[in-house]
Amino acid sequence: MKDFQLLTTRELSAALQYLASGSKVKLLAGGTDLLVDLAQKSHRLAGIDYLLDISQIKELKLIRVRDNRLEIGSLVTHTDLSENPLTRRYFPMLVQAARVIGSTQIRNRGTVGGNINHASPAADLLPPLLALRSEVELTAQGGSRVLPLSQFVTGPYQTCLRPDELLTTLRLPLPSPDYYGSFQRIGRRKAVTIARLSLALVVRVTNGLFQDSRLVPGSATPYPQPLARVEAALNNQAVAMLDLEEMGRLAGEEMVALSGERWSTPYKKPALASLVKKALLAIMEEVAADGKG
Amino acid sequence: MEKVKVRLTVNGNSFCLEVGAKERLLDTLREQLRLTGVKEGCSIGECGACTVILNGEAVNSCLVLTGQLDQSEVVTVEGLAQDGRLEPLQQAFIDHHAVQCGFCTPGMLMSAKALLMKDPHPGREQIKTALEGNLCRCTGYQQIIEAIESLTGPERE
Ligand SMILES: Cc1cc2nc3c(=O)[nH]c(=O)nc-3n(C[C@H](O)[C@H](O)[C@H](O)COP(=O)(O)OP(=O)(O)OC[C@H]3O[C@@H](n4cnc5c(N)ncnc54)[C@H](O)[C@@H]3O)c2cc1C
Ligand code: FES
Ligand code: FES
Repeated sequence: MKDFQLLTTRELSAALQYLASGSKVKLLAGGTDLLVDLAQKSHRLAGIDYLLDISQIKELKLIRVRDNRLEIGSLVTHTDLSENPLTRRYFPMLVQAARVIGSTQIRNRGTVGGNINHASPAADLLPPLLALRSEVELTAQGGSRVLPLSQFVTGPYQTCLRPDELLTTLRLPLPSPDYYGSFQRIGRRKAVTIARLSLALVVRVTNGLFQDSRLVPGSATPYPQPLARVEAALNNQAVAMLDLEEMGRLAGEEMVALSGERWSTPYKKPALASLVKKALLAIMEEVAADGKG
Repeated sequence: MEKVKVRLTVNGNSFCLEVGAKERLLDTLREQLRLTGVKEGCSIGECGACTVILNGEAVNSCLVLTGQLDQSEVVTVEGLAQDGRLEPLQQAFIDHHAVQCGFCTPGMLMSAKALLMKDPHPGREQIKTALEGNLCRCTGYQQIIEAIESLTGPERE
């Protein structure tokens, strides 16, 4: 690995200026992915001229409500995310996912922006963030653009971030009262990967029917992405009459269609089916308790 | 290669350091400041032997570059004892036989200390969560958990 220089700044504008310089710059936030790459001499760091530390830029550490959205700064750590009153109030699913990432030490340092940009198949925040229809704000010196997160992550360890851009903020539309969500997870990161799987499900319930479903499994497909066929099958179904077995089976099939048959398939297919059933059941119970089923 | 200048407070003492681009906090503590209580186990965030307290929170010093830390405050295991007297947490580890080979102990102490700074009366679940990122190959964890519990008073409901 060739030598690089370390740049640091507390100002977003200075960071954007470095990014616009045309040199090969790699951003460094909490470092919990990047320093592992450094220790393992990963190809992901090959040929960089500068490492640009953004971990001390305060304005990217905020969580606030604006324009009916929750805005989460890219440098918010997993610990901050799971302890924040606004996230706890509006998006318990996100708190659930953040609380079990790595270890206390990893959660104290690892950031939301790093988790998204590393775009690992096992990134724990991606399924809930995708299911909650998050948008990312990408900022360059010339201005910002906003993209749905589902368009931002384009493949395993791949995003469409341009070299002069930085992910500044994540925006989540605040849920209206007719939205329901459930997050399910089995296995820990330390466990062998075969035993690891998660699922985020968000639906709207109108007149007793599922609408607008979003179902995103984690560690199931080459990169976290919605299962569009299951979503289509779920929409317009009556909450009270849902065929849970069928939905579970469809999810297993769509996962295999996206990832191909793998050595882990005999375990993951039924495991995903069971997570889908659990998530749907949890939502059905909540809907019934609200008297909307 | 150009060095980065960093002002750092370590165990209450201020330092003005020059560090290399790839220098981790772990390297600075052990090699520049000779604080060898900080241990290197896995180098990739899995074992917790390198845990220190950074701005009040437990972190893996193998996953932080010192160049990122201008104006930060670090506490290592060497900063726990005051005026030659062991801190109660250290004494509790001794009293509860929570130390065998000792390799994990500095990291364990710092994770436990960070927890107690945030919450002086944690329950057993919180203690376990705080130690999740610290591996111990000798004790089986039970004595370590008991050592910490001996300082936390009765568990809250
Ligand atoms: C022991 C261990 C356990 C872990 N366990 C889990 C786990 O259970 N679940 C999980 O999901 N992850 C886990 N991780 C991975 C990691 O902790 C998370 O992905 C974390 O959120 C990464 O954030 P970071 O700030 O540390 O990223 P960094 O390492 O600083 O950066 C990661 C990547 O994102 C880029 N980047 C960072 N911020 C931005 C930004 N604002 N704009 C554009 N690009 C940016 C960097 O250039 C780099 O490519 C674990 C890691 C370790 C070492
Ligand atoms: S050496 Fe840092 S966690 Fe193992
Ligand atoms: S006492 Fe030996 S590793 Fe913990």
